[in-house]
Amino acid sequence: QHKQNVGVSTGCQSGCQTCSVYNGCLTCKPKLFIHLERDGMRQIGVCLASCPNGFYGMRSPDRNDCIKCGSECDTCFNKNFCLRCRAGSYLHKGKCQESCPEGLVPSDTKRECVP
Amino acid sequence: EQEGVSVPDNQCPLPCQCDEDGILLLVDCSELGLSTVPSNLSPLTSYLDLSMNNLTEIQPNAFHNLHFLGELRLSGNHLRHIPGAVFQDLYNLQVLMLQNNQLERLPSEDPWDLPNLLSLRLDANLISDVPERAFLGMRSLRHLWLDDNVLTDIPVAALNNLGSLQAMTLALNRITHIPDYAFRNLSNLVVLHLHNNLIRTLGQNCFEGLHSLETLELNYNDLQEFPVAIRMLAKLQELGFHNNNIKGIPERAFEGNPLLQTIHFYENPIQFVGRSAFQFLPKLHTLSLNGATEIRDFPDLTGTTSLEILSLTRAGLSGLPQNLCLQLPNLRVLELSHNLIKELPSFRHCSSLQEIGLQHNLIRQIERNTFQQLTSLRSLDLSWNRIELIHPDAFSSLQSLVKLDLTDNWLSQLPLAGLNSLTHLKLKGNMDLSSSFREEDFPSIRVIEMPYAYQCCVYGACNSYKSASQWEMEHLTDEEEDLQKRALALFPIHADNNYDTDLEEFQLEIEESKLQTSIQCSPVPGPFKPCDSLFD
Repeated sequence: QHKQNVGVSTGCQSGCQTCSVYNGCLTCKPKLFIHLERDGMRQIGVCLASCPNGFYGMRSPDRNDCIKCGSECDTCFNKNFCLRCRAGSYLHKGKCQESCPEGLVPSDTKRECVP
Repeated sequence: EQEGVSVPDNQCPLPCQCDEDGILLLVDCSELGLSTVPSNLSPLTSYLDLSMNNLTEIQPNAFHNLHFLGELRLSGNHLRHIPGAVFQDLYNLQVLMLQNNQLERLPSEDPWDLPNLLSLRLDANLISDVPERAFLGMRSLRHLWLDDNVLTDIPVAALNNLGSLQAMTLALNRITHIPDYAFRNLSNLVVLHLHNNLIRTLGQNCFEGLHSLETLELNYNDLQEFPVAIRMLAKLQELGFHNNNIKGIPERAFEGNPLLQTIHFYENPIQFVGRSAFQFLPKLHTLSLNGATEIRDFPDLTGTTSLEILSLTRAGLSGLPQNLCLQLPNLRVLELSHNLIKELPSFRHCSSLQEIGLQHNLIRQIERNTFQQLTSLRSLDLSWNRIELIHPDAFSSLQSLVKLDLTDNWLSQLPLAGLNSLTHLKLKGNMDLSSSFREEDFPSIRVIEMPYAYQCCVYGACNSYKSASQWEMEHLTDEEEDLQKRALALFPIHADNNYDTDLEEFQLEIEESKLQTSIQCSPVPGPFKPCDSLFD
């Protein structure tokens, strides 16, 4: 959920460097991530210090983007390494699996394979 | 989970917003312009978001009674230093977000004592040094972000205390060298990002100890030599060292990495590639080698049987092995443009081939069995060769072929057998190909480029000599124009960066629907390109 910062004189939301009425933030202040939220058929840019659930932050010298995690994953480090799985699968070394390797058992609260 | 009902005011510190999660409290104080941490935080707080405020420091006892706190977000503030006492007794803390602050150092004399911390975000700060004792109190740490700081060295001593670490990024720093045994104790590390540094040299044993490493990113550095140190990474699946300064890939370069699935090394001035460099990589599905001008012979890909995409362009290849498809039975995309290839083997056993790019070579003829049985082939680019002869049955079994590019060859005739599913055909530049075609020769055609304007007459291009731009504008029905306006209004701005693939499909549908109604044939006839053939 995102707050409208009425204090910004140019009408941009907080964290925006440039924005447009129709598409929200176009570029972000340094080191913030731009995330494209869907609003019906429109895409609205917002600038965040951390990406929302289901996305991870990819930093590069000239821009920082929120990028979708893999399908099974709620929060992730990158496309191939999950931090927290969706309900029904269990995390083991960055992978979401439906069952756990030998010696580990699935924990539904943690959504992880645990000893 | 962040659900629950709103909370009695006396528990929720104003002006924050709170939700209940069972008996615990989720407190959101983000983006409120706060300069201090609210003092009346409930001891039952399990989630506290203080991100994007104006905190410059944190009082030592700000969180002292929050024993249930599991996640603490302090990102996007102006914090320079956080003494160890601030995080005292936070036994349940698992996630700590400190990115986008102004931290310069981590405490050393009184390191943070967070025994159950799993994720620590320190990215986008001003950290130039990580003291040896910094992580002493975080033995359970699994995920560490130190990217976008000003480190000049790998914090080897500090990292030695993180035996449970599974994922770490040190990207976007100023690291110039990776010393031997830099990650000696990180036996559980699965992902290591080092991209966008200034790394010029690697110790021969710098990756020693990384027994579990699956992803290694060294892109955008200044590596001068091939990173031979990767030889000890037996579990490596994904390797990137694109945008470096590496000039060659040695023989048996990846013999220590049999599980490799992807290797990205474009944007390197690679000239030499050992013939055996890419052998015995049974999981590798993509190999792209572009611009390695010293490659004369096709690489020996024995044992690299899962390859699906092979791109070997702008090299000096003069021929292809006859057993190419026996080595690469799963090939889907073969891109060999800009070489010196004269003759083609039969691609018969590459039955999964969907795309072939052979443009800008020296091919003279296409035999009967060159492309036989390629029933999945959709796109074939043979432009800019010297093809004079194509066997009448050369395309006969290409039932899925939709794009054929024969631009600028030496053709005088085109065999039609097998071309009825074409939607795009390019024949421009074949000056001896003067025969006219019939509409039924290409029943599905939509875009066709002919050597001569009169060859477009069969597609009704000759009824009136309208200029191309005028032709385009009038051709749009009202409904198409409205569709085009709505599409342009939606995506004029975010077109170049990362957007959902279904948006791309939406754009394609517009293009497709526009095309359905007309066949684009060029060159378009005009006053000086009459419909009547000058040869009759």
